[in-house]
Amino acid sequence: MGLMRTPARAVALACLAMVTLPVITHADEEDADRGARWKQLQESIFPHRQIQDGGGIISVDAPPRALDAALVPVELQISGNKSVKAIYLIIDDNPAPLAAHFVFGPKADPHDLKLRVRVNQYTNIHAIAETADGQLYASTKFVKAAGGCSAPAGSDDAAALQDIGRMKLRLLSTFNAGKPVQAQLMIRHPNFNGMQMNQITRYYTPARFIRSIDATYNGGQIFHMDADISLSTDPVITFGFVPHEKGQMKVVAQDSSNTTFNHSFDVPGV
Amino acid sequence: MRWLGLTAAILAIGLAVAATPEPPGYWTGPTHSPVPSSLTGGKVIHARRLAALLKDEHQHAVIVDVSSAPRRPENLPTSSHWLPLPHHAIPGAIWIPGAGLGDAPAQIDSFYRQRLAAATGNDPNRTVIVYCHTRCWLSWNGAKRAISYGYRNVYWFPDGIEGWRAVHFPTTVVTPEATP
Repeated sequence: MGLMRTPARAVALACLAMVTLPVITHADEEDADRGARWKQLQESIFPHRQIQDGGGIISVDAPPRALDAALVPVELQISGNKSVKAIYLIIDDNPAPLAAHFVFGPKADPHDLKLRVRVNQYTNIHAIAETADGQLYASTKFVKAAGGCSAPAGSDDAAALQDIGRMKLRLLSTFNAGKPVQAQLMIRHPNFNGMQMNQITRYYTPARFIRSIDATYNGGQIFHMDADISLSTDPVITFGFVPHEKGQMKVVAQDSSNTTFNHSFDVPGV
Repeated sequence: MRWLGLTAAILAIGLAVAATPEPPGYWTGPTHSPVPSSLTGGKVIHARRLAALLKDEHQHAVIVDVSSAPRRPENLPTSSHWLPLPHHAIPGAIWIPGAGLGDAPAQIDSFYRQRLAAATGNDPNRTVIVYCHTRCWLSWNGAKRAISYGYRNVYWFPDGIEGWRAVHFPTTVVTPEATP
């Protein structure tokens, strides 16, 4: 309402509208492209399923213009009182659009999930929540970033592989038995996507990426995640869980070379 | 005539602020970053003039798209959804991914050289147009490389496919050449 209070503002807005007019028609064309793409992805990833508007259930946030297309932070938030059993993160215009699929276990607190992804070109990002009754809800965010898939992972492939699988866990809030707590998991892994050229040999580095991560707490599942080449180098995942007592978090990650990485963390730790 | 001087002054200031100098060799920095407004040895062309040129040339011009292409990792699980976007190109374009890399591998360099020779019928005077995306150095490098092969009528189209589509010129969906 306050936007149009002064004539000067109205004039400025009118000018802006005039300047952007040709762009809007182009944007219409782009919108049609994006709509068609999303329809294609829905049919491919969720065949024969209805997807409803996720307003009030799931939201997705990312910087509208990312600083580094190979490291775009994405936050997925669940609100309302529907029980969410799984989340899909889809980067529409990436060549492998399904970036991550999380399935939550009894120890999870799915309200806030963060991860870092590669974005190949300006794209919509879709977050889909699957509720316990099997319904799908989507929300979307447009992100301006390009080149994240071919950006080199680092200057030295051998160094990137050296301490592969090393993990760190950090609690981001105070441990309080029975209360949800946010944790940040970091895994050292180059997550080579096969599209990165080695800066010295000038050949493409073969793909090697994390395919799944399982996190459990005292034997109870927090989440299982499937992913492929859209996760950033050295994946960082922030998630919630509910510890009913002090104990151990166990993380098992498996990569595309069928190497398994295990780590156990004492919670709350020292 | 005073407005002319004023316009020139504003333009000069704008250029001074916006100018990205041409690097001495190929650009090996970030692919997607501000590009120069010129290319030594070549001509810079924008969408409407390019469309007119293509019309005049009656499909005689060789159009090269040097955008990078997604590569499906061999070990991508079959359960993954591999769905690269359809690649829109200027009608008639040949798509040679890698031809605009700052330090292109020798095998790509020779592929590009041979492909251009075949497409131009070994005529160094044929019009060659090189493009990729807007604000993308691959096309600047790719055009510079074509000039280095001896082509005398090389046009660099810095607006890229986005600039082409922005003025509603048609596109066709193409697949990449099988580069080594």
